[in-house]
Amino acid sequence: MALFPHRFTAFQLRSAAWLLGLLTGQAGEPKFYRAVNLHGPAAMLDGNAWEGEGAAKLETKGQPFENQETPLHPETDAIRSQMLRSSLIGQEVDVTFTDMPDGKYLVYLHLWEDNDEEHLKLLVNDAVVVADFPSGHHGDWKKLGPWSAQPAAGKITVSSRGGTANLSGVEIWSAPEPTPEELQALAAAKLVKEQSLAKAREWWSLRPLTRPEIPSVQDAAWSDQPLDRFILAKLEAQGLRPGPPAERPALLRRATYDLTGLPPTPEELQAFVDDATPDAFAKVVDRLLASPRYGERWGRHWLDVVRYADSAGDNSDFPIPQMHLYRDWVIAAFNQDLPYDQFVRQQLAGDLLPEWKPEHLIATGYLANARRFGSRVDDYPTHLTIEDTLDNFGRAFLGLTINCARCHDHKFDPISTEDYYALYGIFNSTRYPWPGIELEQRQRDLVPLVPPDQFAEADQRKKENEANIAKLDEGVKRLKEVLDKTPEALKATVEKAFHEAEKIVGDEKVKTQPYQLAYAMSEQPNPGDVNVQLKGNPAQIGARVRRHFLTVLGGTELPAEERGSGRLQLADWVLDASNPLPARVMANRLWLHHFGKGLVPTANDFGKHGKPPTHPELLDWLAVNFREGGWSIKAMHRTLMLSRTYQLSSTRLPEAEVKDTNNELLSSFPRRRLQGEELRDTLLTLSGALDLSPPGPHPFPPQSEWKFTQHNPFKAVYETNQRSVYLMTQRTQRHPFLAIFDGADPSVSTPQRPTSTTPLQALFLLNDPFLHEQSRRFAERLLNEFPTDSDRLQRLYQLALSRPAQLDEIDAGRQFLGQVREKLTAENTPADQLESATWQALVRVTFRLNEFVYLD
Amino acid sequence: MNFPAPLHRRAAIRSMVGGSLLLPGLLSQLLAEGDDLAPKSAHQPGKAKRVIFIFSNGGVSHMDTFDPKPELFKADGKKTGIGGGLSREQRVLLKPGWEFRPGGTCGTPVSDLFPNLRECMDDICVIRSMQGEDNEHYNATLGIHTGSFFFSRPGIGSWVSYGLGTLNSNLPSFVVLAPSLPYAGLQIFNNDFLPAYHQGVRVIPGAEPIANLDRRTQPATLQEMELGLAEAFNRQHLAARRGDSELAARIHSFETAFHMQTEAREVFDFSKEDDETHALYGMTRGQQDGFGWQCLAARRLVERGVRFVELVDGNSSVNWDQHGDMAEHSVHAKNIDKPISGLLRDLKRRGMLEDTLVVWTTEFGRTPGVDGDKGRGHHSACFSSWLAGGGVKGGITYGSTDELAASVATNKVHVHDFHATILHLLGMNHEKLTYRHGGRDYRLTDVFGEVVHPIIA
Repeated sequence: MALFPHRFTAFQLRSAAWLLGLLTGQAGEPKFYRAVNLHGPAAMLDGNAWEGEGAAKLETKGQPFENQETPLHPETDAIRSQMLRSSLIGQEVDVTFTDMPDGKYLVYLHLWEDNDEEHLKLLVNDAVVVADFPSGHHGDWKKLGPWSAQPAAGKITVSSRGGTANLSGVEIWSAPEPTPEELQALAAAKLVKEQSLAKAREWWSLRPLTRPEIPSVQDAAWSDQPLDRFILAKLEAQGLRPGPPAERPALLRRATYDLTGLPPTPEELQAFVDDATPDAFAKVVDRLLASPRYGERWGRHWLDVVRYADSAGDNSDFPIPQMHLYRDWVIAAFNQDLPYDQFVRQQLAGDLLPEWKPEHLIATGYLANARRFGSRVDDYPTHLTIEDTLDNFGRAFLGLTINCARCHDHKFDPISTEDYYALYGIFNSTRYPWPGIELEQRQRDLVPLVPPDQFAEADQRKKENEANIAKLDEGVKRLKEVLDKTPEALKATVEKAFHEAEKIVGDEKVKTQPYQLAYAMSEQPNPGDVNVQLKGNPAQIGARVRRHFLTVLGGTELPAEERGSGRLQLADWVLDASNPLPARVMANRLWLHHFGKGLVPTANDFGKHGKPPTHPELLDWLAVNFREGGWSIKAMHRTLMLSRTYQLSSTRLPEAEVKDTNNELLSSFPRRRLQGEELRDTLLTLSGALDLSPPGPHPFPPQSEWKFTQHNPFKAVYETNQRSVYLMTQRTQRHPFLAIFDGADPSVSTPQRPTSTTPLQALFLLNDPFLHEQSRRFAERLLNEFPTDSDRLQRLYQLALSRPAQLDEIDAGRQFLGQVREKLTAENTPADQLESATWQALVRVTFRLNEFVYLD
Repeated sequence: MNFPAPLHRRAAIRSMVGGSLLLPGLLSQLLAEGDDLAPKSAHQPGKAKRVIFIFSNGGVSHMDTFDPKPELFKADGKKTGIGGGLSREQRVLLKPGWEFRPGGTCGTPVSDLFPNLRECMDDICVIRSMQGEDNEHYNATLGIHTGSFFFSRPGIGSWVSYGLGTLNSNLPSFVVLAPSLPYAGLQIFNNDFLPAYHQGVRVIPGAEPIANLDRRTQPATLQEMELGLAEAFNRQHLAARRGDSELAARIHSFETAFHMQTEAREVFDFSKEDDETHALYGMTRGQQDGFGWQCLAARRLVERGVRFVELVDGNSSVNWDQHGDMAEHSVHAKNIDKPISGLLRDLKRRGMLEDTLVVWTTEFGRTPGVDGDKGRGHHSACFSSWLAGGGVKGGITYGSTDELAASVATNKVHVHDFHATILHLLGMNHEKLTYRHGGRDYRLTDVFGEVVHPIIA
């Protein structure tokens, strides 16, 4: 019982252990209820009266089979041997007891093997009780159980699936009734649990969210904004003061990169510097928030959190050609300021919302993008994909590491294994699309983006089109045969005809496609609860748990009448007004990406292993505003950026360096390095090569050609001059550029990018062809656009560093250009290349400057 | 400011920063701080200072190489016991394809697949009781590198780099010599959640072994001029920002990169190695590929202070995975036998074997039962690996399998135990080598692993 941070008395522990035994049917004495010899006569076995074949209130499915000659291992008495060696055999055997009174029962199954070993899946009322039972060899037998069961509509069904089973007999026992003593222990244990839950809810991140008081400050004149008051109060408490405000060029550069991931233009710089109105900066923020570039930057932050990838992550890393729809949905959601509650709900349950919209389906690509594992279909590890789903769900929306409860109750946070499998049941009831795997190469279970009432018609059209296209393909094929046999003299003409035909057919395929498929989620045909998997092993089954939300967050159960997976309810539970986590977690993420560090430094972990907030009241104030402000993310950007705190200079004050070494109190703005994507996008912007046209799908090979294996996995890098958020992201290998420059980990959630400094980064900036190519283009752009070195230098500084060049910098630059020119002339550089080569050297210098890659 | 002709970059920088805003001592401070790769002290004394980790991809058959099974010779064609492997079927047993003979003075038997290596057995400890958890190449390869059979985690090379740092900051601390990629690809050399300094830098034998190592700027002195100006501006920028250590570290990284262009290149230039050394590794002069090249490059790298060098033998399509015909094992063995024995001899005669741990392993063994016509299936229940040098007892074997080489009989060494032992030899306690990530302390050995003390000298 390491569940809660609470000291138990010996009595409580005893009661709890007793209770546990009670619930798993180990306390008290079970009573024999009935037993059936499935293919044979009634008999007395172990002192109990067994019924025979054809017993009342019993339905069976399976072929009768008997072989009384087989010697049994281990040997047993004659009556039992006869019972065992006559059985119901089949790939799918079902034994259903009907008219069972309500109550708790224990089920035992007797089975044997008459032939070679088989691997069976055994179920009681559709819940797996043994995932992989090896039946043993010729003559082996076993009595399995007890498994606890409750009648569903008066029925208990024992089933086998997967291999050929020989089921001989089934016993049903009534689970013991609790004694008054046991009931008392039950009540005591419940009390203990409630007390510890109450205690657990005192943890800072689980406390109810209320609007905190705005603290009073000495220097009220500094700012009247609540955000600034929270910051100032803490500074004053340490005897510190906020530093000076940032210069306008630095502020514009900071804000433009923060919101769009790109540098400001010299024109934007000039306009801001010249704007004397009091709301000059507010106008800048509005302009940037309205830019389509905003979603590309902030969508990327979310894609980091959800470990977005364009491939599945199985041993062959199958590509997912449809995944980009989800990526684009995320980017559009930010651009449209989709309220965060809807953002969450659509990702968890978009397919279940009352209003049908293609983007609602696409949003569930979040869940579908969970990692796949393995190479084989027969023991496909679905449980690992569900684990990956739960892990990311917990971190992304709740800031909780619920995956720790997979094998044992969470060591630090109040999350039990029952809670884990209650959520597991929800995703086990959801159908994940199949991306393909080594031994089953084609996609299936994707979701058509067509309203359900139009699907039949669209599908009909699709089939007709496919027939047409098949005919056209056949024509093209025949034309190819003709082409191959054509004499050289006529080849060119026939070849032209062939290519034209090929293009017509290709266009036809695109044009006549009646609907698109999304890599998204849908419901399983038979949703239901699951059993706890002991130590996270799906072959070891514990008690069954009703689907419910985390106990510490209310533990609401799925209503009994619910016939779906429960994802819609899950979204409601997450977003319930009583759950303080989503608002706190998201407000913290927004802070983190503006200030470089979260108020809670561990943005994915608000539990006991995470770090507590530096400014708890400020975090709550932001979270309350976020929730009450209609969950508008753009409104939050305005709140954060229009504060005086955001607009501080990055220059550190000497006294703050002593009293607040890590600048947690924010007396100055934290300097930050450009992220990999920002660096690449900036290089492309400056060189003029950046392609801002709408991104299409990645050029994956067509599915008909997929033959990926773990021996020859899918592996590709697609070059593009589009923004880095559109680079194809493989789950098992990073893009070579992003691998060097701290890109997000595509296999687990990245709440915050690390900032590493390695010689490989420096080597890239020294020698990489991409860097040299962008330098060349940028240099030639400067040469073409401006007549003198001084003008060009001025422009270089404005474009690359977002500030005017100082006089001494212009001098130094010109001197350097002169020396390089001399050097290159001495090296016999052709005259027509001299200027370009000279300027490229200076551009490369600029690209290596700390000032270029850091924001003040 | 003045930019003199850059006779020497250092001198150029010094002349440019002279009289600038730089405080005295900043330069040495720059070299010292922000360097995650600086050598670190170990948890306990360990003999090994560096590792050469040889990975033979595809699943090397233990009963055909290092684990002699006379009973299996006799049982050829019979169907008893476990045939093993993926199918869980009983299979017809297949006798080993090569004779075993005692090697060295210790007499450790090795099959005729490795005649050269056999002569080195006095320095080698064979572990015959290795065990993994997965019969798939991908998962087993991930497991033997990262300790995790399903999830991406940092590999052992990254952990060692993280735990011990490097002895030469002009070279990466973890280098992977891999002409092509094994199963599970780059994941197994990835730093994952460890700082990026600790990712394996992949070297591809050929013209440019490390990406962007070649100066793209001609003449060479132009690059020095560029670096000189950048450094001058960067130092000015730094001085106005009160010596921010992150900025300083970034300035330093250009210095390292600059030297890597020559130093890393020098590592892979074997022209100063004599003919006898070339012959020792089974190489001809001027050869720029092959496993001999990888082995000699490994020696030159560890000689220059690189902590962990991994040599990849085979890739995800051409490797030791002989389902159809075991005879093909001889092609792969021939490819590595001479080079590895050359490496061990070369290290020994240079006195480097004492503190260099050489590890050879594969991802799993093969089945005693036949697969296809004359091949064997995947078998993670038991396999053989070996260690040499770096504080390991040479001339011994450890652990055993049953008489048909189907399961571990004594002294099981799970992959986690194998990792724990390697770290121990390097002076690291596998339970203390941790990294906090996502709210949890991670280890190479997860929550498992026991050091195999009997094989430590």
